[in-house]
Amino acid sequence: MNDDTLTLYYYNDGLSESERQRVANALATDASVAKRYQALCRDLEGLVDADIGAPPADMVQRWHEGLDRAAGIETQAAPRPAVHSWSFMLGVAVTAALAVGVGIGVIISGSEQTVVPVMEELIVSSPEARGSSAFIRGLQVHLRESEQGLSTLPANTESDRALLILNIIEQNRMFERAAEQNDSESLARVLRAFELVLVRLAADDITPEEAEELRAKLLFEFNVVLTKLTRNTSDEQQSI
Amino acid sequence: MKSAVPPTRAEFHEAISSRSDRWYAACLKITRNQDLAEDAVQEALLSAWNKRHQFQHTARLETWIHRIAVNAALQQLRKNRPGIFESLETDVPDETDTPERAQHEQDLSNELSAAFRVLSEVERVCFVLKHLEQWRLKEISDELDIKIDTVKQAIFRAVKKLRVQMQGLQGEPQ
Repeated sequence: MNDDTLTLYYYNDGLSESERQRVANALATDASVAKRYQALCRDLEGLVDADIGAPPADMVQRWHEGLDRAAGIETQAAPRPAVHSWSFMLGVAVTAALAVGVGIGVIISGSEQTVVPVMEELIVSSPEARGSSAFIRGLQVHLRESEQGLSTLPANTESDRALLILNIIEQNRMFERAAEQNDSESLARVLRAFELVLVRLAADDITPEEAEELRAKLLFEFNVVLTKLTRNTSDEQQSI
Repeated sequence: MKSAVPPTRAEFHEAISSRSDRWYAACLKITRNQDLAEDAVQEALLSAWNKRHQFQHTARLETWIHRIAVNAALQQLRKNRPGIFESLETDVPDETDTPERAQHEQDLSNELSAAFRVLSEVERVCFVLKHLEQWRLKEISDELDIKIDTVKQAIFRAVKKLRVQMQGLQGEPQ
């Protein structure tokens, strides 16, 4: 029995059932075959995946931009950001330098005590903030898609509504965690406040009137934040 | 949970940010060329985006894109080296040292990747698809449009060469 057959046995591919049985018998009865197979396994397991470094940040940025173009999103004409890291979380880590000043106005919905945030100010004040474009873009996409989803909410079935809101909540949490990890607590607070409203919106006992009121408020808030983010990315250093 | 909802742009962006290093690494191992690997990932993303409604949520989005990227890398290789998979007889390792190649080797700064230098194109591609990407022999045969026995022979030769090469590397003094 040669090593080629043992190689196919190792990969569990390319041998018929009877051939596999023949190899198994040989391994059980022939010590020299078993020894050669052990050596083969050891060598193959040593041929581990190469630890290739991360792709350059500008390359990753091009992939993001290509996707945006494909999705029909108008990308900003700003120069390519000097991203310092390729991964999302590391990309987000750059936002540690992002000074986000957020004033949160609070509207208390009288009967339900549901908190809806109003973002009054969002300032990107650091040059390093340019490195946060991936995060900001992702947040914009999340908000746009959430707006879109919420717009179609009344026409959906109950189960579709719940699924849609749960998806929005899941995405929202992702951005909330990213903001928290980068000391953008004020931004995280806004996103947390969105979640409270979304959770209420998904509740079984909500009346159609309350649902419509919350939906309208959320749409308004998302739109406000989106407008500010869009203005901000096209005009760095500008207080919005 | 299975869902008919196609992946969102945000999910695509998240996948790029978290997993594009793996897609790129797989494409680079197949093409051994940074530009081709970058193009392969870009094509894969656009293709996946355009086909997102076909995405089955039984798989993970990044895994789905990974597979598309590997296919795109193979297409890049075919496009740039027509007939590359057609003949094993003419398939010899390219050991020419050029600045570009040196750069690629630096990018592939791993013992296994360095050992790839002793492999021919077909041997390397078949080995990468089988051993690292864990494709079935039939899938490799279909994708490369070569006989399954040719795939097997390429893998056998690759394994033999790599075992010798890796033992040599391990035996070298530090």
